[in-house]
Amino acid sequence: MQPGWLARHGLTVPVAILMLVLFLLVPLLPGEYWTQVATEILILGLFAMSFNLLYGYMGQISFGHAAFFGVGAYASAMLFTRLKTAGGEIGMLDFFLSLAAGPPVAAVAALIVGFFCVRLTGIYFAMLSLAFGELLFYIVFSWYSFTKGDDGIQGLLPPSFFQDAVNFYYLTLAIVTLALLAMWRITESPFGYIMRTLRDNQRRAAFLGINVRLHMLINFVIAGGFAGLAGALWGPFSRSVNPGLLGWQESGIAVFMTLIGGAGSIVGPMLGSVIYTMLQAVVKMYTVYWPLTIGTIILLIVLFLPGGVLGLVEKRLKARRDGDAGNREA
Amino acid sequence: MSTSDRKWEALIDNLKLSRRDFVFTTLATGALTLTPRLAGAQAAKPYKIGVLLPSTGTGANYMAHCIKGLPVAIAELNKRGGLLGKHQVQMVYRDDETKPDVGAREAKSLILNDKVDCMFATYSSAVALAVQEIIHEHKVLHFAATSNSSKITQDNYSPYTYQFCPDSNMQSGAVVVAVSRMATKNKWKSYVSLGQDYEWGRDTHKGFTTGLAKINPEVKEARQMWFKLGETDFNSYITAIMAAKPDFMFGAIAGKDAETFMQQASQMGLFKRVPFPGGLIAVNDLKAQRKTLPRGIIGLARCPFFAHLKEPIMQAYIKRDRAAFGADGYPDDWACMYYDALGGLEQGAKKAGSTSTEAIVKALKGASIDTCRGKRTFRDCSNQLNVPSYVGEVWDSPDYPFPIYKPETMIQVEGNEVWTPTCEDVEKLKKKRA
Amino acid sequence: MDIGPYVLQLFSGLSRAMVLFLLSAGLSLIFGVMNILNFAHATLWLLSGYLTFSIFTFLSEQLGASPWLLLPAIVGATALMALIGFALERFLIRRTYERDLPEQLLLTFALVLIIGDLIKLVWGVENRRINLGVQPVEMFDTLINPYHFVIVGSGVAVAAGLWFFLHRTRLGKIVRAAVYNRNMVSALGIPIPLIYGLVFAAGVGLAGLAGGVFLPLLPMALGVDHDVIVQCFAVVVIGGFGSMLGTFVASIIVGVVYAFSILFWPDGALAMIFLIVIVVLIWRPWGLFGTELRF
Repeated sequence: MQPGWLARHGLTVPVAILMLVLFLLVPLLPGEYWTQVATEILILGLFAMSFNLLYGYMGQISFGHAAFFGVGAYASAMLFTRLKTAGGEIGMLDFFLSLAAGPPVAAVAALIVGFFCVRLTGIYFAMLSLAFGELLFYIVFSWYSFTKGDDGIQGLLPPSFFQDAVNFYYLTLAIVTLALLAMWRITESPFGYIMRTLRDNQRRAAFLGINVRLHMLINFVIAGGFAGLAGALWGPFSRSVNPGLLGWQESGIAVFMTLIGGAGSIVGPMLGSVIYTMLQAVVKMYTVYWPLTIGTIILLIVLFLPGGVLGLVEKRLKARRDGDAGNREA
Repeated sequence: MSTSDRKWEALIDNLKLSRRDFVFTTLATGALTLTPRLAGAQAAKPYKIGVLLPSTGTGANYMAHCIKGLPVAIAELNKRGGLLGKHQVQMVYRDDETKPDVGAREAKSLILNDKVDCMFATYSSAVALAVQEIIHEHKVLHFAATSNSSKITQDNYSPYTYQFCPDSNMQSGAVVVAVSRMATKNKWKSYVSLGQDYEWGRDTHKGFTTGLAKINPEVKEARQMWFKLGETDFNSYITAIMAAKPDFMFGAIAGKDAETFMQQASQMGLFKRVPFPGGLIAVNDLKAQRKTLPRGIIGLARCPFFAHLKEPIMQAYIKRDRAAFGADGYPDDWACMYYDALGGLEQGAKKAGSTSTEAIVKALKGASIDTCRGKRTFRDCSNQLNVPSYVGEVWDSPDYPFPIYKPETMIQVEGNEVWTPTCEDVEKLKKKRA
Repeated sequence: MDIGPYVLQLFSGLSRAMVLFLLSAGLSLIFGVMNILNFAHATLWLLSGYLTFSIFTFLSEQLGASPWLLLPAIVGATALMALIGFALERFLIRRTYERDLPEQLLLTFALVLIIGDLIKLVWGVENRRINLGVQPVEMFDTLINPYHFVIVGSGVAVAAGLWFFLHRTRLGKIVRAAVYNRNMVSALGIPIPLIYGLVFAAGVGLAGLAGGVFLPLLPMALGVDHDVIVQCFAVVVIGGFGSMLGTFVASIIVGVVYAFSILFWPDGALAMIFLIVIVVLIWRPWGLFGTELRF
């Protein structure tokens, strides 16, 4: 291994490869249930990773990110409903068309919202993103004639090949892996490094001649697009969509996953998704006090483990390596 | 791990037990596990009911009695041998948090992981619609007994869904009947509507306004006002209503907003000026708000126990719940209806002679069952049970520590009098399922 | 023209405004002094409502029912909440001062979940309400609930009290100084940690007071905090983070606008408020009375 490779890329690649292998093996478990859980982990993990483009890489916290998840879900669901045959089935091509509708519509929404949000930073960014998120939720919730409002949209049954949980799972895995690779490329490109500069020192970036607002907006749109992709997958997975997908509580899920897994790398949020989803499944079997559980965990992580699980592992590895280096010198 | 294995392990771990105790307890445990097998005919597979109701979110306080009451009812059923006298019934509970995607997920979990044979779900109609997609796909029996949007049995129809609660159209229809009588008697001319701004509120409002306009066209709606769910301050709405000086007001308000509105409105004396007939006041509201609910107000209920005190099933049910939960433990509307669902399951299995879903679905189609509301029949085209809606006056009864509907003036509007639309139109509404 | 309805709507708007002010004052105070946005503010308010309910019910059982028992109940709950606030600051909030903003926000966000479930753990899922037995009063050819006078009175009293505290007392002046230059105040030998603790306690205490005062009007239910926190944010954003005057004025604007839009455009009352918030955030993010320093 090249020296400094760990310093440059952290654990991202080994963790990603490990997770990919494990994900590939999930359907070997008996029954359909774990495949379904893993599908949910992948979709929400993608959502969380898109959030992390704004949080970990650009340094801004958005409490309205789920609005793009939900917009993607709804765009996809509404096209799905129109492409469905009278018999309630959907053709394979039409199915992929409906999936493809999610990201662009979400990206457009992100363009509009982002145009205003990137003028602010810090707490004002957080507040405005929350306000817009709630506004979008309110629109979807109230516009019954268009979105069927509170009732949501049902009947999102994929074509029979993908009704099989394993097939849908591998489709999701393929799409999410491709998305992850795309995000990896973006974050490791010059654009990605500009993002990091914006996170660390916005003023300096401006002095360097970087158009801060434009770059923030581009990143916001990319993040929104990927969230929309996750949303598009969610509809057929859950067989329905509802306005709650746009609310701040849904946004909170992305935030929690990112925090748990670690915001410092591209795969951190996916790891967070694994931990969060599994934890939720187990805890809810025994108690209804899930909010208390996850709230306490987040509290402890914020106080003692701000880098998340991956952050902790990296720190330990670095400490060991530095310890070794120190020993070697001595 | 079976219960006996677990007990075995626990015994072994507990080294404090003397040898004699150990042997004795083991024998006793062994005897206990044998008992069901001895009592029943053969070792019959237990029947699992997945109960998907909220303990979190807006539905939580309505479902509390139901969630604790179902195990009591199931235990009694199991004492009689369970379904068909041989299948012990097990209940697996999951919280749907009053959220559709959580509901869909937990439904999948119940069906795929816990392998339930039947689902009792849910509280919220939005959640019910999402859950229906799952139960239909996996061909699992679905008994709805609180979520009551007409879409559940019409637009989103599934042959596996059976509805034990009067649906939204039936409820609106009942209110129209009651209000129409009052409007004619009192020569009312105008009213103001206040509603929760979401699907149910809009739907209920439309049902009422169109229904009333048909029978009493001389009664006109002067204004309609809408508020966001979770409104905490109705002050401005109430002053606006009073300023309009209507003959009466109509409310499409449910849940905790209904309680907030009633409390604030009665404190402002609204109901002294403007009658408010037909708001949803279920038994749990009568019990919980016994100190604050204005008396004389006309309310709407879905399954009040005091309307069917003569039914033996209701009598036994009340007795059992009060024994389990104390003197105040009268079951509320929701608990009663889910209890009827359990009864429906038992009778469906009996009629089918089997616990298979397909057999029960066929057996219950258009069938008559005995419920705590008497003998009731399922509507052929929608699997909606023909049950009444109840409109009555809130009144202090000497028999109960909480108000009930005054028996002399309570109206029971039968389901089939007001279930709209016709079966022909229902068929047109049903969406095609793949 | 009959001005009765308009006067009544104005009064109801003012009552609503004072409700909002009482709710938001604590949030604004804490943010103004400590730069902490306490997401859990409404949840603490809800906790206080439940506490007041329990104290009131207990006292009623011991001493016989009387609406005046509400007073000691409110005092008790407020004191308890102030203590809780002090403890929260000392053990939790304090650890995030050196951290980035997102982590501070997340901490209070987590508190929303924790405290919300703790309320459920202790009081269960049933709603709680009390009945003071107050009779409506005739005014302008219609009836009103005289308790609204209590609300308006409380709001004005709290506003006046806060103003007096911040501008006329030594401690208040220290607090205001700490807003502008924490280090300087510390250098003058004044213990900043203690000041922060007291301010946080005061903010939470205000939330506690609001919870108690509203109990006769609003049945306490789980999840009400989620509905209410958004309104608090709206008021604080419009008025300006950190400005008590801003919060007061914004409360009046929001309250009265809402009340009157019900008369003229009932559907859009909430949308109006939303729009005002978004416009303020875009055009003047630090609010009507906030200072650009805060930005």
